Amino acid sequence: MVPLLDRPLVQFGLALAAVLVLPLVMRSGTLASEILIYGLAVAACNLLLGYTGLLSFGQGIFFGLGSYVAGLGLVRAGLPAPVMLLLSLALGALVAAAVGWVSIRRQGVYFVMLTLAFSQMFYFLAYTFSGLTGGDNGLLDIPRPRLAGTVLADPWTYYAFVAVLFLGLFAALQRVALSTFGRTLLAIRDNEGRAGAIGYPVRAFKVAAFAISGAVTAFAGALHAMLIGVAPLSNIDYHTSETLLIMTIIGGSANLFASLLGAGAYLLAADALSAIWPRWLLLLGLLLIVITLFLQRGLWGLIEHAVALVTRAPPVDDPAPDRPVVTAPEVAPAPEALPGAETGRAPEVAR
Amino acid sequence: MTYLFQILNGLGLGMLYFLLAVGLSIIFGLLQFVNFAHGAFYLLGAYLAYEGVERGLSFWVAMPLAALVVAGLAALTERLLLRRVYQLPHTFHILVTVGLALVVQELVIIVWGPLGGNVAPPEELSGVLILGDFVYPEYRLFVIGFTALLAAGLWWLLDRTRLGAIVRAGSESPANMALLGYDTLRINTAVFALGAGLAGLAGALAAPIRGVEPFMGVEALGIAFVVVVIGGMGSYAGALAAGLLVGIAQSLMATLWPEGARLVIYLGMAGIIMAMPRGLFGRA
Repeated sequence: MVPLLDRPLVQFGLALAAVLVLPLVMRSGTLASEILIYGLAVAACNLLLGYTGLLSFGQGIFFGLGSYVAGLGLVRAGLPAPVMLLLSLALGALVAAAVGWVSIRRQGVYFVMLTLAFSQMFYFLAYTFSGLTGGDNGLLDIPRPRLAGTVLADPWTYYAFVAVLFLGLFAALQRVALSTFGRTLLAIRDNEGRAGAIGYPVRAFKVAAFAISGAVTAFAGALHAMLIGVAPLSNIDYHTSETLLIMTIIGGSANLFASLLGAGAYLLAADALSAIWPRWLLLLGLLLIVITLFLQRGLWGLIEHAVALVTRAPPVDDPAPDRPVVTAPEVAPAPEALPGAETGRAPEVAR
Repeated sequence: MTYLFQILNGLGLGMLYFLLAVGLSIIFGLLQFVNFAHGAFYLLGAYLAYEGVERGLSFWVAMPLAALVVAGLAALTERLLLRRVYQLPHTFHILVTVGLALVVQELVIIVWGPLGGNVAPPEELSGVLILGDFVYPEYRLFVIGFTALLAAGLWWLLDRTRLGAIVRAGSESPANMALLGYDTLRINTAVFALGAGLAGLAGALAAPIRGVEPFMGVEALGIAFVVVVIGGMGSYAGALAAGLLVGIAQSLMATLWPEGARLVIYLGMAGIIMAMPRGLFGRA
């Protein structure tokens, strides 16, 4: 029995509801578009972190790449926006597959550090070849896309454009997560050795997960560049990777709607707090510590808990959001390694 | 001649990278804990040395004091916070230390402002050494010599003393150490403080060379990761060799192709990982 909130239709319904509600409750169409764009990138990050168990600090590479592709195509080559969006998908997949292919040669912490080093490498690539990328200034004057002869200059018109694409890709990611491929990713996350022993080509699956994630992230990056009219250097730097990861964890892992939730909560909080206090990152840091200590399943875990309380259903078994990646069993027996937690996770894999 | 100058510069830089990376490495070795706050300890060490010198302390007092204070704060953090998250998945190790790093960085900006500052090298070493055509700042020579002594001392500590044996045994099997009656919690705290203190010392030593600014921690973290990836995690020799390699490469590039200096480091790292996935000195 799949919990109500995890059913695909319910998840898509929640995403649709969010897309429809944002214009009613928000004043800034730019911020609302930004929530959807980041929501997309975070969902893609979740495919790696939540579904495959790969904590990559490289998501910013693909986000920035998408921005640059869109910028170069629209400004320098004068190509139409749909072409550039498709191109960003393709290039994102390509570069992500390459980065993934090299990074998954190592596991656990080494993998994390490799992805971080790659993210630095691509940052300095963009910084060094400033003729192409505009260096510190970024690529300027990126136009909004044109649809049926009109430029989507108005923030809310652009929001509608983004919303349709967001829902399409959200559904696509859901399909991926629910497919045999997606289920196999979960198996790899939960026990890589066993998945390999059964005969799954674990590496190929991981590279494929990277490619899909990178494609969607680059697409989001392209949408972002068209939103703000610039492809800034900051889109490809370490902080973008870090922010995407933080949003993923704040939302909750292995749940696609939770990613939209994480992106929305982060951006709204950042918008409100940064207006009050320039040092709001201090609060973000404290928040991360609090989440680690008390809210490991993220906002989504909180919602599941609330729903369980209201419906008086037995509380959701609390498995840790993901497995220890490298911790050897003899290092501190983790509570989630107990048999009870195993059974709590089993139906998710079996369904 | 400029190359000799740059290689000497690179030696000094590389030894600082070594201090950073070896701290990261021993913390990971014993605690299986990725410390994303390592750069923050480096940042804090630099600013504490800066503050000490500003307040009229001699650099010779401010520098070790900064490292000690950083080590003390790190021990406190380990006891109060990090100890609670060891049993969680790695994601949360990273999350909590990223959070910690943000808190430290923002506190530094609140206390010292966003602009940064300069630290004068100690008076005895403020001059330059002149050998024929060759002119070199004395402070940088001191850093090379001092860190070399430190590296030797550290090797002795980890390889020849009882404490070192405990640390290495703990990296192999913490459960066995606990069974033998060692207080692994205290050892954890001590090692975390040692690693963080080394980062703080690297920061304090770097301050007169590069000045202080609030974002030097993030930069240092990236470099420390590169050094550890190239050298091989948990390897003392690897950290030393890779630290020097990265430092010298970076200095040489600073004359050959300044804009691309960093790029070359990261490209080199990617190349080495393709050829030797475990790093230069990595164990299986």
